[in-house]
Amino acid sequence: MSAINIKGPERTEILDVHNGRIKLQVKIAGSGPALVYFHPAAGLYWDEFLDQLAETHTVYAPELPGTSAGDPYAIKQVDNFADLLLIYEEALNMLGLKQAIAVGQSLGGMIAVDLAAHFRDLFSRMVLLAPGGLWREDLPYKLLELYAAPPEEIPGYLFHDFSIPRAQAMLALPENPELIPKHIAASVWALGCSGKFLWPFAEQGLAKRIHRITTPTLVVWGKNDVLVPVGYAELFKQGIKDCQLKVFDNCGHIPQIEKFEETTKLVKKFIV
Amino acid sequence: MKVLAFEQLSYRHLPDDFTQKYNSVVDTPYHELVDRDLMHQDHVDFLDEMLYAARMGFDGIATTEHSQASYDVLPNPNLQMSALAYATEQEKLDVALAVLGRSLGKSREPIRIAEEYAAIDQISGGRLVAGFPVALSYDASQNAGHPPIETRERYEDNRRLIERAWAAKEPFAWNSKYNRYPNVNPWPRPYQEKPPIWSPSIGTPSSLARILNDDDVFLYLSWFGPKYTGPRIFDRYWDLATEMGKEANPYRLAFVQGVVVGETDEIAHKEYGPHVERGYQQGLGSVPLSGLGLPGYVDINGVEAMVKDPGDFGIVPKMKTIKYSELVDAQCVIAGSPATVTEQLVEMIRRFRIGNLILMVQMGSMPKELVKKNITLLSEQVLPTLRKEWQDDNWEHRWWPTGANKSANKSANKKPRAGE
Repeated sequence: MSAINIKGPERTEILDVHNGRIKLQVKIAGSGPALVYFHPAAGLYWDEFLDQLAETHTVYAPELPGTSAGDPYAIKQVDNFADLLLIYEEALNMLGLKQAIAVGQSLGGMIAVDLAAHFRDLFSRMVLLAPGGLWREDLPYKLLELYAAPPEEIPGYLFHDFSIPRAQAMLALPENPELIPKHIAASVWALGCSGKFLWPFAEQGLAKRIHRITTPTLVVWGKNDVLVPVGYAELFKQGIKDCQLKVFDNCGHIPQIEKFEETTKLVKKFIV
Repeated sequence: MKVLAFEQLSYRHLPDDFTQKYNSVVDTPYHELVDRDLMHQDHVDFLDEMLYAARMGFDGIATTEHSQASYDVLPNPNLQMSALAYATEQEKLDVALAVLGRSLGKSREPIRIAEEYAAIDQISGGRLVAGFPVALSYDASQNAGHPPIETRERYEDNRRLIERAWAAKEPFAWNSKYNRYPNVNPWPRPYQEKPPIWSPSIGTPSSLARILNDDDVFLYLSWFGPKYTGPRIFDRYWDLATEMGKEANPYRLAFVQGVVVGETDEIAHKEYGPHVERGYQQGLGSVPLSGLGLPGYVDINGVEAMVKDPGDFGIVPKMKTIKYSELVDAQCVIAGSPATVTEQLVEMIRRFRIGNLILMVQMGSMPKELVKKNITLLSEQVLPTLRKEWQDDNWEHRWWPTGANKSANKSANKKPRAGE
C-alpha cells in the first residue's frame, strides 16, 4: 500500500451544549472562511479531502454525540433527530459561525441538508456527498444490511473499488494488535450512535421541508453507490431550488475517497 | 428444586436444504416453506404436549417469544399460555406458567403486556412467572424497527412502567422518553401481589448486575454449550451475587437445558439425534450471527470485551453445520437413558447451583409421539431424583408463583376457585 499522508486536525474545541447535557467536541484545522464538515455514520475520519479543504478554509468538524473518545454515553442525552439538529445549530452559534459553508457525507449530508431546511440563513453554500434524508420504496437503502454485515463484507457496501490505497487506509486496523479491540469497539459504537437517526430508515421527514432550502447546493454521488442508491441524487436536485448535481462513474458511496482528486477540485471550485 | 417443561413452537417440516437456502429469522419466506395444515397441526401438537407435561407432574410449563422466526412461531406467547392457563385450571393442575417472556426492549405496548400477564395470572389463580428479556437484537431492530442503541433504554423504561402499573393503588400519569400515558390504570391487576420476574440473558456482566439489582431470577440457556459457557457464566453470576451482597440462593437461578431420554443411550441417540441436529442447525444455527448484536445493541465496553474474548458465545459460530455428536459433547442437549441423563443433570445442578431447571423437551422436527415419550420418561424416571436436590437446604423460593404450590402446602395458600 502506498503511504497516505494525512495531516489531521490541529486542535479540538469542546462546547457545552444542550443545556449542559453534552460536551460537543469539534475538531478544527486550517484558516480562512469557515467550513463545517458533518461526518458519516462511522464517525469522524479526517482524510486528505479535509486536509485539502483546510488549505483554504477553517474546517470545523463536530463529532456526533457518543462518538468522541472517552464520552460514549453522550448519545443518551439526544432523544431524537430534532434534538440533534438543535445541538448542532447551538454549537455553530457558539463558535460564531454565520453563513459558513457546509459539507456533509452520508449521515452528515442528511444532517446538513435538514439544518438548511430548518435554519434558512445558517449556511452560505452546501455540499452534500451521497446524503441520506429521503426515502422511496423503489430505491431501497442497504443500510440495515451494512449494520448486519460481517466485517469482511463492509467494504462492498462502501466502495466500488476497495483495492485503492485511500479506501484501504480508511478501513485499516491499528498496527499495534493491542489497540485493535478498542478500535473495533469504537467503530461499532459509532455506527450504534448514528443508528439512532438512521434506523430503520435514513429519513426523518426531509421531504416535507426540502422546499424551504434556499442555500445554493452541490450534490455529489457515485453511480455505483450500493448503500444509498444514486436514484436519490435526482430527487435532491428536484427538491432543492438552487442545486447542481455531479455523478461519478465507477464510484461507490464515498466520492471524496474513490474520486479524491475530482471531488476535491469540484468542491473547491463550488465553495470559492 | 423446581423442574419445568419447555418447548419452542418450531415449524417441524422444514426441507433438508433449509440451512443452505434460508435464514431462520427476519426474511424466512413463509409461503414457500409452509403447508397451512401442517402449521395448524404443529400449533395444536404444541399445546397438547405442554398440557401433557403439566399432567405428568412437571412443576411448570414454559414458553418464549420469537417474531418472524421459523424455529419458534410464538410472536406472542401469552396467546398459547392463556389457553394453557385455562386448560390446567380446569384440570386442577397447579403448574407454574412461565412466559419467558415478552421482550421489553422491543415492545411498543408495555401496558398491554402488564394487562396480558395479569390476565394469565387471573385465569390461573396466581400461577404466572413473568419473564422479561431485553429482546434479541434482530428482533428489536430488524423486525420491530427500533434503533439498536435504544433497546436497553426501552427495556428499562418499559420495565419500570409495568412494575409501577401493577403496584399502583391509584391511576398515574407516565411521561418518559419512550412512553407517554396520561392515565395508567390497568384492568385486571395480577392475582399475585407481585408476580415473580425471571430475566433471560446471555450473561454479560452488565446484564447480570441489572438482574441482581432488580432481584430477578437469572435465566440462562444451554444453546451455546454449557460445557464451555456454563463455568464462565454461572461462576460470573455467583461471584457477582456475592460481591453485591446477595445470598447464594439457588432459586435465583433458572437454566434451560435441552434433554432427550430413551430407554437406553443407544435408543435415545438413534431416535432423537436427527431431530436434535436439524433443530439446532435450522433454528439458532440459521440466525445470522451479526443479527444477535447489531451495532449499538451491546455497550462499547461490552464490544471490546467480546472482541478480546468471544468465549461467551460457545459453539454458536459453528451451529449451522454442527453435528449431533458435537451438540451432545458441548451439552447443548443431554441425551441418553434415564440414568445417564439424571447423572449429568444432577452434576450440573450442583456445580452451577441451579434451583429452577427448565427442560426443553422438543427440538426441531421431533413429532408428537416422540415428544410425549420424552416427557413420559423424564417425568417417571428422572424428575423424582431431581426433585430431591436442594430439599435439605432451607432456601426460600421467593421467585415461585404463589398459586403454584404443587409440591408444597398447596391447599393452604390458595383461595377456592370461582365456581367451586
